[in-house]
Amino acid sequence: MMGFLAWLESSAFSSWLKESPSLLAYPAVLFLHTVGLVFTAGPSTVISVRLLGAGRGLPLAPLERLFPVIWIGFWISAVSGLLMLAVDATTKLANPLFSLKMIFVAASVALMVLVRRMLKAGAATPEPSRGRWLAFASLICWAGAIAAGRFMAYF
Amino acid sequence: MTLWWYLPLWKTLHIVGMSLLMGVVLAVDLRIFGVARGLPARPLQRLMPWAAAGFAVSLVSGALLVRANPQQYLAAPLNLAFYAKILCLVLVGLNDILYFATGLKREVDGVGAGEAASASAKIVASVSLALWFSVIYLGVTLPFFGVAP
Repeated sequence: MMGFLAWLESSAFSSWLKESPSLLAYPAVLFLHTVGLVFTAGPSTVISVRLLGAGRGLPLAPLERLFPVIWIGFWISAVSGLLMLAVDATTKLANPLFSLKMIFVAASVALMVLVRRMLKAGAATPEPSRGRWLAFASLICWAGAIAAGRFMAYF
Repeated sequence: MTLWWYLPLWKTLHIVGMSLLMGVVLAVDLRIFGVARGLPARPLQRLMPWAAAGFAVSLVSGALLVRANPQQYLAAPLNLAFYAKILCLVLVGLNDILYFATGLKREVDGVGAGEAASASAKIVASVSLALWFSVIYLGVTLPFFGVAP
C-alpha cells in the first residue's frame, strides 16, 4: 500500500501538479475544490437554515430541486480532492485530521440523503423536530469537515 | 498570534461564513435562472440577511488573517491579486446597490412559484455569480500569484 502511495506521489502527473508554477496546476485544482464546496455546503446550509425555522414562507418541497446542484458540487470536490490526495498521499493519509475530515464528509452526505428523502416523502408536513435535528447535525458536520480540512495543514 | 490554532481557526470561519453567504447567493441567483422553479422568489430573498451575516463572518475573519500576515497580502507582487479581490467585492456591492435601487429586487419578489424572472434580473444574477466566483478564485489562488512566471 505504502509502495503504491509512494509511486502515486512520484508519478509524472503528481510532480507536475505539485511542482508546476502554472496557475493551471495545483491552484486550479484547489479552486475547483472550493467551487465544489460552495455548491455543496452552500445550498445544504440554506436548506438547514430553513428547516431550523428561518424563512418560513419558503415551501419545503421545491427545495428538493436544489439537490442536483449539491451533487454536482460534491463530485467536483471529490475528484479535485482525490487529485490533491494523490500528490500528497503518504502525508495526508497519516494525518488523523484527514480521517476526521472524511468521517465528517461521509456523515454530511448521509444526512443530505436523509434530508432529501424527508423533503420528498412528507414534503407538505415534514416532522418538524426530526427536520431540525437533521439540519443541526448537517450544519455541524459541514463546519467540522471545513475545520478539519483547514487544520490539517497545521497539524 | 503565534498560537498554532490562530490561523486555521480564522480560515475555518472565513470558509464557514462563505458557505452561508454563497448558499443564499446561489439559491437566489440560480432561482432567477430557473433552477428549483417551484420556489417563490420572495421568501427566498428574505434569506438575504443570512447572506449578510455570512459575509460579516468572512469579512472579520478575513481582516484578522490580513492583520496576522500583512506581508502576504499587501506586499508586491501578491498584493495585485489581493487588490483585485477587493475590487471585485466593491463591484459586487455596486451590483447589489443596482439590484435594489432600480427596483429589480422588488420585481423579482413578484416572481412566484413556477414563474420565470426577467432578462434584466438574469443579467444582474450573472454579474453577481461571475464576480463572486472571481472573488473566490482570487482568494484561493492568492498565495500562488507572483510565484508563477
